[in-house]
Amino acid sequence: MKKVYVHPLPVRIWHWINALGFLALILTGVQIRYVDLFDVMSFKAAVQLHNWIGFVLIGNFFVWLLFYLFSDKIKVYHPELSPMKHFQGSLRQLQYYGYGIFKGDPNPHHISAYHKFNPLQSMAYQIIMLLLVPLQFFTGVLLWDLKQYPGAVEFFGGVRVVDTVHVLLFIFFTAFVLVHPYLASLAQPPLAHVKAMITGYEEVEEESAGSPPAG
Amino acid sequence: MPNMRSEVSKIGAPWHTCIPAAALALFLALLAASLPAAAAGSAVDSLPEADQQCLGCHATEGMKKDLQGGEALSLHVPGEAYAKSVHKANGCGSCHSEVDIKSHPPSKRDIKSLRQYSIERAEACRQCHEDAFKQHAGSVHAVRLSEGNPVAPVCTGCHGSHSVTPMTAYQTCVTCHSAALDAHQKWLPNAQLHHEVVSCAACHAPAALRMIDLRLYDTGTRTWVSEREGGARFDKLARSIDADGNGLDAAELRTLLGEFNRDESASRKSLRGRVELRTGVEAHRLAEKTQAVKVCESCHRAGAEPFRNVTVSITGSDGKPVRYRAQETVLSAPLATAALPEFYAIGGTRSRLLDVLFVLGLLGGAAVPIGHMLVRLFTRKLLKKGTGGNRPGNTKDRDK
Repeated sequence: MKKVYVHPLPVRIWHWINALGFLALILTGVQIRYVDLFDVMSFKAAVQLHNWIGFVLIGNFFVWLLFYLFSDKIKVYHPELSPMKHFQGSLRQLQYYGYGIFKGDPNPHHISAYHKFNPLQSMAYQIIMLLLVPLQFFTGVLLWDLKQYPGAVEFFGGVRVVDTVHVLLFIFFTAFVLVHPYLASLAQPPLAHVKAMITGYEEVEEESAGSPPAG
Repeated sequence: MPNMRSEVSKIGAPWHTCIPAAALALFLALLAASLPAAAAGSAVDSLPEADQQCLGCHATEGMKKDLQGGEALSLHVPGEAYAKSVHKANGCGSCHSEVDIKSHPPSKRDIKSLRQYSIERAEACRQCHEDAFKQHAGSVHAVRLSEGNPVAPVCTGCHGSHSVTPMTAYQTCVTCHSAALDAHQKWLPNAQLHHEVVSCAACHAPAALRMIDLRLYDTGTRTWVSEREGGARFDKLARSIDADGNGLDAAELRTLLGEFNRDESASRKSLRGRVELRTGVEAHRLAEKTQAVKVCESCHRAGAEPFRNVTVSITGSDGKPVRYRAQETVLSAPLATAALPEFYAIGGTRSRLLDVLFVLGLLGGAAVPIGHMLVRLFTRKLLKKGTGGNRPGNTKDRDK
């Protein structure tokens, strides 16, 4: 076994602030939307807390973005430009999660410093971090003060459309925070990935450690 | 000090200097009455002859009467404004029944002050608006008036006198309460937006019943859509679309909106929602501000009282809204995204479809890990019992 440094400090800071922030946003979001069902805090307090946490996470997003923009670690996000290769890799990974893992097959993906995501993660995180998260922040800022950017609200088609997009993404992120920790626990031992996101180091098999990033 | 809007204004010139002008105006009015075509196009022409005679003198700018205390009572009536006001059909005599045309103007009339005159004149309003007076009794304005507050408004203070038009409460209230927006911004999130979409009385008359009024709005001209003079298209159209007569549902509302957007070359018409009182009369029940609605949950929760009563409206030819009932479900139906994209109150008008999707998201988010984990545990047991092949989880993997 060999230790590989896969999570640099800025990424770990971003990850945990983001994780706690998203949980808080979901909980305050539920309180705001379902004030008739839950009474943990007042609507006004929930809105104010939601707004503050939202702005903190927008700032935190730029920690992630600027780190990767100015670091060679951005290679972990480089897309697989061959669609066939990407499709085959994704299929292999899906087959592992849906079948191989039950038989005890090895994970087809091998971690390295520049290749920490499997093909499914690589595609999913690019969509999430470059499209869904910014869209959630953008619609959130519009809803924070509708009079601030009326042109943008109009561009979306009205406040109800902005809110619908925000809520659809809220539903997605709610499901995400339930599935994400489970998938992270598929390591051996189960808390290995969580520990790695604290220390920065993953323990990997000798033969796969340090292998150059694909593509 | 707040500015009191009243047509009882302070003007400097003495009454007698206006006599020649008044005589000339009376002459011209009589002349106009004999030659009706001469002033064609003026709204004043639509008034009864008797009212035109009154305006013959009282339309004169600067016409006034000096009072004992040095104040001047304006006797000027803006003719065009009156002819377009909601009282145009009532006639001058309906409010000024004490005027005897044979002895008018009276040689002496004891008016101590503008304030006293305004208070006395309010009784003329009571003749028709007794219901409003009942609501007004006990209101914060009535209490201030009884306490002798010199700026406490009487009827004309909010509504004006000769040029009464259907104004939104906000337009009326901020005339005096010009600092209201600043005061609300200190505690109310999105205060400006709230002031645009919530009528003042919706919070400041807490005992009154509220509703949502969805008014047709021209997104090109950025004005409320108005029915053309003499036309009653909106009501007929709404009735024909609402064939079952139980109020417009979401699909019918969309059809109605489509009818107003048939002309593709014209700017888009949309529906803009406002929280208003179910009856304007109840707007007179204004309470002390300490009793005003300040709890967000009063509106921002499903089933909140304002959202149980919905109307769709257009500005009528006389400025008054022409309303047609809509079902309360129009505010939360999936189709609302198409029909009401510009009206949404967080929590209060939330989509039921999104609620269902949220529950599905929660269930799905929980089912994936639980189901996957159960299958893993089950297959692990099977493998232990079987050939002793690879045990799940004995390889290092990296998954999120």
